[in-house]
Amino acid sequence: MARRKGLVINDRQLDRCDDLLRKLKEVSGSSFLALISASGQPITTASDEYHPETLSLASLAASSFAATRQLAKILDENEFTLLFHEGKALNLHVSQVTDQVLLIVTFGRQTQVGKVRLYTQRAMEVLRQVFEGPDDEEGPAMDSGFEADAGLAIDDLFKDL
Amino acid sequence: MPLINFAAREINYKIVYYGCGLCGKTTNIQYIHRTINPEARGKLVSIATEEERTLYFDFLPLTLGTVKGMQTRFHLYTVPGQSYYNASRKLVLQGVDGVIFVADSQITRLDENVESYLNLWDNLLAQGDDLAKLGFVIQMNKRDLTDVFSVEDLNELLNHTNSPVVEASAITGKGVFDTLKSVCKQVISKTG
Ligand SMILES: Nc1nc2c(ncn2[C@@H]2O[C@H](COP(=O)(O)OP(=O)(O)O)[C@@H](O)[C@H]2O)c(=O)[nH]1
Ligand SMILES: [Mg+2]
Repeated sequence: MARRKGLVINDRQLDRCDDLLRKLKEVSGSSFLALISASGQPITTASDEYHPETLSLASLAASSFAATRQLAKILDENEFTLLFHEGKALNLHVSQVTDQVLLIVTFGRQTQVGKVRLYTQRAMEVLRQVFEGPDDEEGPAMDSGFEADAGLAIDDLFKDL
Repeated sequence: MPLINFAAREINYKIVYYGCGLCGKTTNIQYIHRTINPEARGKLVSIATEEERTLYFDFLPLTLGTVKGMQTRFHLYTVPGQSYYNASRKLVLQGVDGVIFVADSQITRLDENVESYLNLWDNLLAQGDDLAKLGFVIQMNKRDLTDVFSVEDLNELLNHTNSPVVEASAITGKGVFDTLKSVCKQVISKTG
C-alpha cells in the first residue's frame, strides 16, 4: 500500500528528468513520454508532435497500473511491474520508477518493442536515482500568502454557482 | 499530500467523493462538469458499466488558476459504491488530500450509508494516512425527497469527526458547490 507521503519536485530534479526523457525519446524512437505520480498526476512530458490529453492520460494510466499491481498480488505474483498495450498504430508502455513515480512511453508500430524496453530499463535506473537520491537540497517552501490567495481564487471560481 | 512541482510551478490536490452505491457521487461530478466555467475544467472521464454504474471511477480535473505563481489544480474522483468493489475503492483513495462523504438521506439507505462510512475509515487507516491532514466534508444528499432522516440524526450516525456538513440535492445542484468549496479550502489549509 502506498504510503501517504507528498511528492515534491524541485528544479534540479525536473531538469534531470526532462533531460533524460528527451534522450530516451531519441534513442528509443518513441513518440511521447510522460512521468506521472502513482496517484495519477502528470509531472513532466516529452513530445514533438503528438500531444494526448495529459490529465486524463495520467489519471487512467496510474489507475490501470495500480489495478495491474493488485491483480498481480491476487495471483501471488510480485513482478507485474509493467503495463503494455499493443494497438493498431500505437503501443503504450507504463512502468514503475519508484513507489510514487511511473513512466509512460508511447511508440509507433515501426519501433521495436525490445529496443524501447532496453532503453527504458536503463533510463529507469537513472530516474530512480533522481527521485530516491539523498535529499540534500532544502526543499523550497510554499509562499506564505498561498492559502489566503487560494481561498480568494476558490471563492471566485465558485461564485454565482 | 499533494503533488507539488516547484520546478514546473504546479500543485495538484486529489479530492475523492465517497459513499454507498447510488448516493449521488457521479451526479455531483456531472453537475460540476455541466455548470462550471468550461475554461476551468478538463475532460470528464468515467469508467462505468453499460448501465452507467461507476465501475472504477469518474475523474474531473479543475483548474483554480495561478495562485502565488503556482498553477493550482483539484483532481476530483468518485469511487464505485457497491461493497464488492472495495479493491477498486482502495486504489482510488491512494494519495487522497480531501474526502467528500456523500450520504444518501433516505431512511431506507441507512445500512448502506453506515457500511460505506465504516469502510471509508477502514481504508484510510489501512493506507496509513495522517488523518489530521485530510480535508473532510459530509454531504447530506437527496434532501429533496420526503422519506429522509433529519440532519441531526445523520450527523450523529455519520460524523464522528465533527466535520463540516452540507445539505444538498445533487440532482438540482443545490449544495454541490458549497460542498466542493469547503473541502477545497480545507485541503489547502491542511496541507499548505
Ligand atoms: N431525488 C434525488 N435523486 C438523486 C439525487 N442525487 C442523485 N440522485 C439520483 O440517484 C441515482 C444515483 O446517482 P449516482 O450519481 O449515479 O450515484 P453514485 O452511485 O453515488 O455515483 C440517480 O438516478 C440520480 O439521478 C438527489 O439529490 N435527489
Ligand atoms: Mg457513480
